[in-house]
Amino acid sequence: MLANEVMLSSYDQLQVALSVLIAVSASYAALDLAGRVTAARGLTRSAWLTGGAVSMGIGIWAMHYIGMLAFRLPVPVSYHWPTVLLSLLAGISCSAFALMLVSRQRMSFRYAVIGSLIMGSGIAALHYIGMAAMRLAAICQFDHLVVTLSVLLAIVFSLAALWLAFYFREEHKGMLWRKVGGAVITGGAISAMHYTGMAAASFLPSSSRPDLSHTVSISSLGTVGIGIVTLIVLGLAILTCAVDRRFDAQSLELALAEANIKLDQMSRIATVGEMAASIAHEINQPLAAVVTNGSASLRWLAMKPPNLEEARGAVTRAVQEANRAGEVITRIRALLTRASPEMRSVNANEIVRDVLSLTSNELLKGGVTVRTELAADAPPVLGDRIQLQQVILNLVRNAIDAMSTIGDRPRELLIRSAKDTNSVLIQIEDSGSGLDPEQAERIFEPFFTTKPQGLGMGLSISRSIIEAHGGRLWASPGLSHGAVFQFTLPKADGRR
Amino acid sequence: MTDREDIVFVIDDDASMREALNSLIRSVGLRAELFGSAKEFLRQSPPSVPSCLVVDIRLPGMSGLEFQRHLAEADVRTPVIFITAHGDVPMSVRAMKAGAVEFLTKPFRDQDLLDAIQLALESDRARLQREAQLAVLRHRFDSLTPREREVLPLVVSGRLNKEIAKKLGTSEITIKMHRASAMRKMQAESLVDLVKMAARLGLPGTES
Repeated sequence: MLANEVMLSSYDQLQVALSVLIAVSASYAALDLAGRVTAARGLTRSAWLTGGAVSMGIGIWAMHYIGMLAFRLPVPVSYHWPTVLLSLLAGISCSAFALMLVSRQRMSFRYAVIGSLIMGSGIAALHYIGMAAMRLAAICQFDHLVVTLSVLLAIVFSLAALWLAFYFREEHKGMLWRKVGGAVITGGAISAMHYTGMAAASFLPSSSRPDLSHTVSISSLGTVGIGIVTLIVLGLAILTCAVDRRFDAQSLELALAEANIKLDQMSRIATVGEMAASIAHEINQPLAAVVTNGSASLRWLAMKPPNLEEARGAVTRAVQEANRAGEVITRIRALLTRASPEMRSVNANEIVRDVLSLTSNELLKGGVTVRTELAADAPPVLGDRIQLQQVILNLVRNAIDAMSTIGDRPRELLIRSAKDTNSVLIQIEDSGSGLDPEQAERIFEPFFTTKPQGLGMGLSISRSIIEAHGGRLWASPGLSHGAVFQFTLPKADGRR
Repeated sequence: MTDREDIVFVIDDDASMREALNSLIRSVGLRAELFGSAKEFLRQSPPSVPSCLVVDIRLPGMSGLEFQRHLAEADVRTPVIFITAHGDVPMSVRAMKAGAVEFLTKPFRDQDLLDAIQLALESDRARLQREAQLAVLRHRFDSLTPREREVLPLVVSGRLNKEIAKKLGTSEITIKMHRASAMRKMQAESLVDLVKMAARLGLPGTES
């Protein structure tokens, strides 16, 4: 071998392939992580940023080292490990910076340019620090033009990568293939930058022995090890992203479903509220006539001698008007309960659980502990889920209200379900103020209420709903205190 | 308790309520006349006997307040009692300002309505009396000669006969004669009496 003659070098193609694979994986992980960092807030965001920067940094770093290890020289090469660690730090910092930048609310061209300058310089720094870690019996010379080209490439590719990451951080369905495409482009670009940088260096043989303090030499096996560990780290990052995204989507779905049910209830309540005004008017009209006729009749009777003919006429009209008021109420009840029920086979236990999750806040606020004894073997019933929800919701809310003044004993709500021969029984028991036996039936009358703000329609409507389902709803005082409301619903298969 | 000629006009679109009111009003010995709409009532000539109106404010085709305006335009001064299904404060304030006697919310106590009716009839009776007296005065004033009508405002404005004679270019004795004649025709017992009558007729020179 002659002096001043450039050493012959070659590449291990398998390791080159591995380095490109790692570059693409790291890019994919970066695009994925950008979305997660953007979606997260506060501490979670910091955690994502740190974890993301570390895994991405390791990815870029590993890509460079495997690329360097793939580079074969006729002399043994070992690496100065403190410098190697420094290059890893450069990789992680530059990843952290990139993730921070792409997860911003807005991305202006200026930011992107400044960002890519810093990021490109970071990657170039990683690369050349890495090369500086090489210890070998040769003199390393750089072609300045190619070095400049490699740094420029790093900056341009960083710019492209930042834009891609910013664009792909929005997490839509069907993004996968575009993301993969983006990762391939970015990964390819990182590889191109790396191998351009490698081409800038040429090695001249040297007789001086390299300083081998703090160095390690890495075998081919070690290279594969680095590659596999890196791929595992990146794989975990991508997996974590996927799990987190899925979890996010699930909680979103759950929140949406809950909001929907609440909206439905609210719109019904709003309708009831609007109706209350017209009910008041509709009932008031005949009521005024009843009162006036009644008063007139008393006056006819009080005469000396009483005018029975006139009194009878007035009372007859009063009765007619009272019946008219009754018809109005029947009409309103029909209106409130009609609302096109959708009869399906439903699981009563599930509806109970739905309502309990819906009222969990109210129960918590009311200091109520809930116990359920739901029969696992309860058969499905035929009913309208929303209407049955409304009934149970109404009974649970009544129970909460009834227990709101209780201070000397625990506020307990017990919901039981049991199967009967042809039906399912649901019991809702509270430890509240209890039920006057005389009131046990009256509470189901329209406009009868024990609450200061009550409309007195809840139980009346609930009973109409249960009866429309072919069941029965009744109330009785609790064993020691409180009240038990229970209803039956016929089994879905057993025709009634 | 009341004159048989008093009339309570009931205007309500609800036939059963109309009948109920009719029965209640008749039970205290009053006469009621029933109308299903404001138009029906307005087609009649204004009542000449003490009367009042019991009106449901939600009349078909015309609001209660519109109805009040129609009454004012037709110079019908019959007092109005409003009954309403839901009396909101602004509406009742407007009704009272427009001259309603009472504003009752359904269902009302029978005694409240009957008291309001009595009050309205009393005030209408007083109004009719005032109007009748005024008509008498106007009739008397119309019987004065043109010269007496000229002298009268000057007399009630406190001028001396001498001044009046000078102003009208005649003798004091002639003025004295006109003055005595006017007092007699107006059936005034004193100058003070005459001044009051002139004021009620709204003659010039009587405003303080």
